[in-house]
Parts: sequence; C-alpha cells; structure tokens
Amino acid sequence: MSIAEPLASPMATQLSKGTQAALITLLVGALCLALEPLVPWLVTWPAEWALPATDWVGAALKWFLEGIKPVARLFSELMRYPMDWANAALGATPWPIVIGLVTALGWYIGGLPMAALGFLGLSFVLSSGYWPQSMNTLALVAVSVPLALILGGAIGILANEVPRVKSAVQAVLDVMQTVPTFAYLTPLLLLFGFGPVVGLIASAIYAAPPMARNVMLGLERVEPEIKEAAIMSGGTRFQQLFQVEIPSATTQIMIGVNQCLMAALSMVIIAAVIGGFNDIGWEVLLTMRKAQFGESLLAGMVIVVFAVVIDRMSGALATERKRHDRRVVWALVAFGVVFTALFWSSMPNASEFTLMDPVAAAVDSGLTSFTQNNGPWLDALKNNAMFYVLLPLRIGLDQAVLPFTWGFAWTPTMSYGLFAAGAVIALLMAWRGHVTGGLMVMIGIGMLETGIANLPWPFVLVGASALGWVAGGRKLALMTLILLSTILVSGLWERALLSLYLSGAAVFACAVVGGAVGLLSAVSDTAWKIVRPICDMLQTIPLFVFLIPVLMVFQIGEFSAFLAICAYAVVPMIRYTRHGLVNTPDEMMEAAIASGATEWQILRDIRAPYAAPTILLGLNQTILYAFAMLVIAALIGTTGLGQSIYLALGQADVGLGISAGAAMAILALIADRMVQGFAEERRQALGL
Amino acid sequence: MRTSGARSLTRRPSEPQQVTDANTPAIACRNLWQVFGDGAEKALTDALARSGGDADKAADILRDAGMIPAVQDANFEVHEGELFVIMGLSGSGKSTLIRCISQLLAGTGGEIRIDGEDVRGASKRRLTALRRQKLGMVFQHFGLFPHMTVTDNVAYPLRVQGIGRKERTERAREVISLVGLEGREDSFPRQLSGGQRQRVGIARSLAVNPDIWFLDEPFSALDPLIRRQLQDEFLNIQATLKKSIVFITHDIAEALKLADRIAIMRDGKIVQIGTPTEIVLHPVDDYVREFSKDVAKGQHAIVSSVMREGETEFGPDDPGLQTGMTLDAALAKCMNLYEPVPVRDTSGNVVGTVYPSDLAAALQVDEA
Repeated sequence: MSIAEPLASPMATQLSKGTQAALITLLVGALCLALEPLVPWLVTWPAEWALPATDWVGAALKWFLEGIKPVARLFSELMRYPMDWANAALGATPWPIVIGLVTALGWYIGGLPMAALGFLGLSFVLSSGYWPQSMNTLALVAVSVPLALILGGAIGILANEVPRVKSAVQAVLDVMQTVPTFAYLTPLLLLFGFGPVVGLIASAIYAAPPMARNVMLGLERVEPEIKEAAIMSGGTRFQQLFQVEIPSATTQIMIGVNQCLMAALSMVIIAAVIGGFNDIGWEVLLTMRKAQFGESLLAGMVIVVFAVVIDRMSGALATERKRHDRRVVWALVAFGVVFTALFWSSMPNASEFTLMDPVAAAVDSGLTSFTQNNGPWLDALKNNAMFYVLLPLRIGLDQAVLPFTWGFAWTPTMSYGLFAAGAVIALLMAWRGHVTGGLMVMIGIGMLETGIANLPWPFVLVGASALGWVAGGRKLALMTLILLSTILVSGLWERALLSLYLSGAAVFACAVVGGAVGLLSAVSDTAWKIVRPICDMLQTIPLFVFLIPVLMVFQIGEFSAFLAICAYAVVPMIRYTRHGLVNTPDEMMEAAIASGATEWQILRDIRAPYAAPTILLGLNQTILYAFAMLVIAALIGTTGLGQSIYLALGQADVGLGISAGAAMAILALIADRMVQGFAEERRQALGL
Repeated sequence: MRTSGARSLTRRPSEPQQVTDANTPAIACRNLWQVFGDGAEKALTDALARSGGDADKAADILRDAGMIPAVQDANFEVHEGELFVIMGLSGSGKSTLIRCISQLLAGTGGEIRIDGEDVRGASKRRLTALRRQKLGMVFQHFGLFPHMTVTDNVAYPLRVQGIGRKERTERAREVISLVGLEGREDSFPRQLSGGQRQRVGIARSLAVNPDIWFLDEPFSALDPLIRRQLQDEFLNIQATLKKSIVFITHDIAEALKLADRIAIMRDGKIVQIGTPTEIVLHPVDDYVREFSKDVAKGQHAIVSSVMREGETEFGPDDPGLQTGMTLDAALAKCMNLYEPVPVRDTSGNVVGTVYPSDLAAALQVDEA
C-alpha cells in the first residue's frame, strides 16, 4: 500500500472532473448492458416495485382540497361578479366604441403607430366574426390581470421588505416557472368546479410570478444613492417605498406588467381546454378537433392579433415616457360614440361579420390541395425524420432498425461492429489528448444503440448525477440523484424518459438550428433584420397557436409535436447566441484586429469563448421553453409526462396531474441547474 | 448668492434635552468601527478583547476571520461651522465612514454624537426626526429622484414632513435660486447636465436648512471646469450659511482648497488629522507624503509655518513678508536674498524672521 499510493495519487489527479464523471458513467452503462440478460431489473425498474405515489399524492391532495373547498367556492362566487361585469361591459358595448377606445388608448401611449396598430388589429378581429368570443376572452384577461398584478406586486414588495422571505420567494417563483401550465389546472378544477372562474384563477396564478419577479428586480436595482437620498430626506419607510423607490423602478415594473399581461392571455387561452366557455381559445380547440383548419387558423390569428396589440402597447408603456395629446384621445372616443349613434339601427351585429370567411375557406381548400399535391414529399419528410432520427433516439438502433423501415434487420454483429468502431474513435481521441471526448463518444454510441426510452435506470441516475457533479459540485449531484430517484420509485420513470427523449431531441435541434441562425444574425445585419421580427412574433404568440400550422400540414403525431416544440423553443437560442456574439467588448475586438486576426479567427478565438456563458443561458431558456411546450403539445399527440398531465386534466385525477407535473418540474429544474452551473463556471473562468 | 432666511421652516419638536453649550462639538466620533460580515458586532467585541484594545491587532484578527473592517477606530470631532474634509483613495473607507455618521449604516462599535446626542443608540423615529431637522446630505452620483421635477426633488424633504405644497414650493424656490438654478424648476433630472444635477442635489440637501451637512464626493463625477466652479460657489454658500460640514473627497487639491481641517484615511484607518498646512508640511508618513507630492505646496502652506518666531535679527532687505502669505508669494519676493528677512503680522509689527533657505527647503521636502 505504502508504495502504491504515491504512484496512484498523481494518476487520479491527472484525470479531470469531467473525465472521472464520464468514466464512471461509462462503466455503469457497460455493466448494465453486460448484466441485462442475468438481472433484467437492472435495466427496467419492475412495475411491482413502483410505489403508488400518485395515488398517495392524489388522496392527500383531495383531502386537503376538500378542506378548503368551501372557501374556494365562496371566492369563486365572489369572482363571478367582476367577471360578469367585465363580460357585460365588453360584450354590451357596441363595437365602434370599443374600437374607438382601443385606438384612443394606442394614440395616448404611442402616437400614430400604436393607434394604427390598435385600429387595424381590432378591425381584423371584427371582420373575422369572432368578436363576441374575443370579448369574452378579453373580459377574463381584464379581471385576471389586476388580480395577478396585485398578487405579484404584493409578493415582490414583501420579498423586498423582508430579506428573510426573499430566497424562499425566489425558490417558489423558480419552481412555479418550471411547473407546466396544465398541472395547475387539475387541482383548480377540483376546487372551483368547471367554468370560466378556473381559467381566471389559473391565469392569475400563472401571471403573478413575472410581476413579482420584476417588482423585486426593479426595487433591487434602484440606485443605492436614490434610496439613501430618500432616507436622508427624513422619509418613513412607507414614504421611501411608495414615493421614491417604486416610482423610480417604474420601467422595470412596467416590463413586469407587460409580461403579466402576456402570461395571463396565454393561460386564459390554454384554460379553454377545460372548456365550455365561449371564448376564442375554445374556438381554436373546437375547430382544430373538427379539422376545420382554415377557421382554426383564423381564430388563431385573432389570438395572435390580441397578443401583438397587448404586447406592443404595454411594451410602449414601459419604454416611452412621452404621452400624446389628449384632445386626439377624446376625438377618437367621440368618433366611436357618434358613429354608433348614427348607424345604430343599420349597424350589423358584431358576430355577423363574415368578411374573413372566404379567406378561411380559401385556406382550407388551399391547404387540401397543398397537402394533396405535396403529400408524397411531406410524408417522406415526416417518415424519414421519424424512422431515421426520432425512433432510433427513442427506442434505440437495435429496435428501430427493421426491414420495414431501414430495409434490413439489426443483428448483434452490427451492435458489436458499432461498439468496436466507437472504441476505435474513442481510443484515437484519447490518444490525441481528448480523453473525456473519447469517453463521451462511447457513451453516446451506447445511448444510440439502446435508445433513450430504454436506458437502464442505474445508468441514467449515475450519469445525470455525474453531470450534476461536474456542473455544480456535490450538492447538485446529490439533488439530481434524490429527485430522479423520486421519479423512479413513483412509477413515472418510463414516461419521464419519453418526455426526456422528445424534449431532448427538440432541444438538440433548437441548439443546432438556433445556434446557426444566431451566428448568421450576428455576422450579417441583413439576416438579423429578417430574423428579428420573426423572433418577436414567435415570442408573442401564445403557446397554443403553435399547434395549428403543424397540425395543418403534418396531422396528429409525434413529429408534429416535435416541430411545435422546436418552433417555440428555438427563439431564445437564436437571441442569446446573437446577443453573446455581438456584445463582445469593442476593445477586445480592436485588440484582435490589431493583432492581425481574420474575421473567422476573431469569431472562433475571441467572440465565441466570450459569448459561451450567454449562449449557455440561451440553451437553458430553450430547455425550459421545450418543457413548457411539451405539455401543450400533448394535445396533438405525444407520449410521456405531458400526455399524463393532459389525461389527468380530462379525468380530474389530481394525483396523476400533480405527480406528473412535479416530475416535469423536476426534469426542468435539474436541467436548469446543470446548465446554469456550466454557465457560471464559464463566467468565472472569464472573470465576468 | 442670496442667503436663505427661512429658518422658521425647520420646526424642532420633540428634541430630547441635551446639555449643549458652545464647546459641544457638532459631531464627535469615539472609537467608531464599521465591520462587514456575519455576526460582525460579536466578532468586533471578541477581537478587541483579544487584542487588548489595540485597534490594528483587532483589525488583523477580524480580517483573518474573513470580516471586512471598513472603518477602524475612528476618533475625531467636527466643530460648529467647521468644514471637515475626509480624504482617501477609493476603498479607504471614507464613504463608509460618512454613512456611519449619517446613520445610513448602523456602525458596529463605538460612539457617534451629533450635537451631544448619541445617534448610534437613537430609535428609528428619532433618526427620522433628526434627518428632518438638522441633517442634509449630497451624493456623488446625485441620487436625484428620476420621476420628480427639480422643484419636487428639492421640496421632497419638506413633503415627507407633511408641509403643504404651496409652502414647500416656496421654500424650494428659495434654495433653487441659492444654487443658481432659476428657470429650471420644472425640468426633470434627465434633462439637466451633470453640474446642474448636483446643484439640485445641493439644493435638496439644504431644503430643511440643516445644521449639519454631509457631502459625499459631491464634485467627483463632474468635469474639472464645472468642478472648480461648483467648489467656489460651495465656498460662497458656506461663507454665508456656516454649516458644520463633513466633506468626502479623493482629490487632495480639493481637500486643501476647501478644508478647515482634513482627515486622511487609509485602509479604514484615519492616519492623520490636521489643517491643510500641517498635512502638506508635516505629513506623518510616506502615505500622506505621497498625496502632497501632487500639490504645489507653495500655494497651500503659509509663511508662519517656516517663520522663526521671536527672532529679531535680520538683514538689510525687507521684502515685506506677512504671516498669512503663501510660500510661493514669499519666495517670489525673496528670490535673490540670502539673509533672514522680517515678517510682520496684520498690524505691521515684526513677529519673527524667515530664512530664504528655509523657504526653499520647505518647498522641496518631497524631492529629498
């Protein structure tokens, strides 16, 4: 021993953290594969071992929810009043007056462009014939947003005033951000019963966190000297807060209002899945189910128009200080009133507008002929993606390669050949000094052979913990292990792996495509001029609407879900990549140019390393977005946790809904912490 | 510059009875410490107990424990009407010190008395009352409220006291004209230049007509020309208002120009307190000497500092030196002289002599 030790220790220190982690993971994986025939439970966790955790959770929650149900029902009765008022106000007000009011508001906030946006937007809504449904949706938003603003504002101020609560609030907000939207709905359904109040409350709960976050951030960022000046002026704490700090933080708080509005709108529309309420989200769902894609697209467009109008107007409220002439405001409102008075008798009912119906019909027929004419290659695209990419990823080469799909059957010999080839590559890489890279190649090949959904559970646990250890140290490794084990024993493991596979595939696609587009946008201003409005648009559109176009072209199925997730989750990757690359300090660029580096060398050696932490944050956002969309995509056919959450909603199964939601949140949380850990490490390495 | 006569505005209710007489300093700090870190108060007590009261050792003990002793054992007094400048490089603890005195930071140990009243022990309510009555503060980056006009900014200390709009606007206009900002009353801070913004800051700090005036690097963020202009105006204001002032700066020239007395800080310690002349001519250590290297000493030291008092033997030449003359001026008059010359006081009596070689030597201390 005494001789061996001094020899062994330098060997151990030579291996970096990453190499050690990869080595352990590889060993566990190899062991699992080798032992599979002997001990099958090493690969798949036996169903009889799973604890009926979802039932327990369900029972406990039901008991708890029944307890507070009377209070909830009372609250729901109370909320009915403002809702009815808002409904009546918006529904009964003649449309010229509503349009006049919105146009006037637009003028007041942002002058001619905003007024035009408001006018054209609402005119489109009117001509679509979805006016009454839109007003119902708007009424829900109008009631839920003030609730969310008060709730979020109060939480933000509380966290600011009581430092001890702050980290707890932050943690709760973090978790709330990762819990999928549908998961909220099931317990609320139990509490408040079917009906629009559930949507109202769900959207208030969902929209409060962004407000709270921004209030906290805004108050935190008020210049210390401004706070000190308020103290030295002899203000009480109350005076300091309400007369100085909150007004000084207005810009940030208005950003919170903007995000709050968007979140509320998005949730109100999603809440339509529990249905029965004549709003625009329900209209989309209904037409989608009936495969009336033209109309569903039209209704989707109405949602988009609302989102754009609300977003741009509240955004302008945050950035522009200038307010515009009030006389024009009154003139616009007056015009609406006069118009109504003059044409009262001859004015058509808002729901009777059918200007857009021909368009919807044209879209429908156009779509039919498009899919018919292009059917072969669209199918080929879909099938190729499924057979050659998604399926192998999901169930592995050994099961996905069949004579029916690939034209030949997978044999054990091929497996050995694959592993041998992998080993050669790995050895070559190790020989060149990339030991970790070589090990990763072996792990990757192993995963490809097995498929993500069939990965042995010890391998996943060890691999994820090892990754956590590299990213964030012992604590993160332990957290990963414990949280993943919870999923394992609660019987949601297979579904979790399926979710992991689909979101993993989507995130990978987003990283590649988004990274490339971001790079292109960073290099070329022209490209960014085209990409930017598309990104803006994609970020404004409520989640739900992404389903319509993919459904139109590719029908229900995993591939459509995959596309919808990608379309939604790719935006942060593009934005952050570009932002990171563009924001390299000028001095560094000048130093590189002065050193005689070419464009390409600057990009590779200066900008990319400097942008790495920012790009990682973009990846982090993309992962969270993908998880969020995964649940929505369950509507058009995915398996895994998203589907469970959606099913639970239909069956009012609180246990399953919450457990599956929690499992999703766990996956998102772990991914988030890991990427943050890597980003933090990069930032520190760069001294940022 | 107009003087402000609105003293009546500052009401002084509920002031605890303090025994104050002419000798009570406006501000007195005794063994003041500010330590940052968890459990700082206990750590300081322990460290002082272990070091037997030796401040330097205690600071070392605190640093070893991972604490930051930002202000160590500060002792000084500011007299009524005195302009007391605290000078040091960034990180020397001067901003922390002024925040202790104004109680923006609580302080970790020691005592601060304002007009004899112990403010470290004062209640929150009492501190608010003090700030409303006799404290004013100016900040390096102005600390103006972005959502208020100039008038509203200046009137804010009156607004928090519940003084009506008309009355407080009137008072605000007075101080605004005192700092020469007439015509900009309805502007917002973002519409003003840096110099104008600091004028607003100064006006606001004077709105309640405080006795004690804290200025935290008020001119550091300004261009040199504007800085000089504001320094001159500041001296003018002080000449009429006669506040007791704590003024923070990192600029030795500014300190020498403005100060009645200067305290020099280094790494949380006050290393020397003295008049500008003392600081320039008799620096206690190399650190202080380094500072004075940058300044033309001849402009700051006066003849009496090199005069041999009581000596009455002098040569035939009488260039007409006076005690209050700067060394530069004296040297100019003695350019070609080698023998001692007489020095007179303001009434013309000879009070001593100056050897021209002493003059030259005094100006060359640094080159040694």
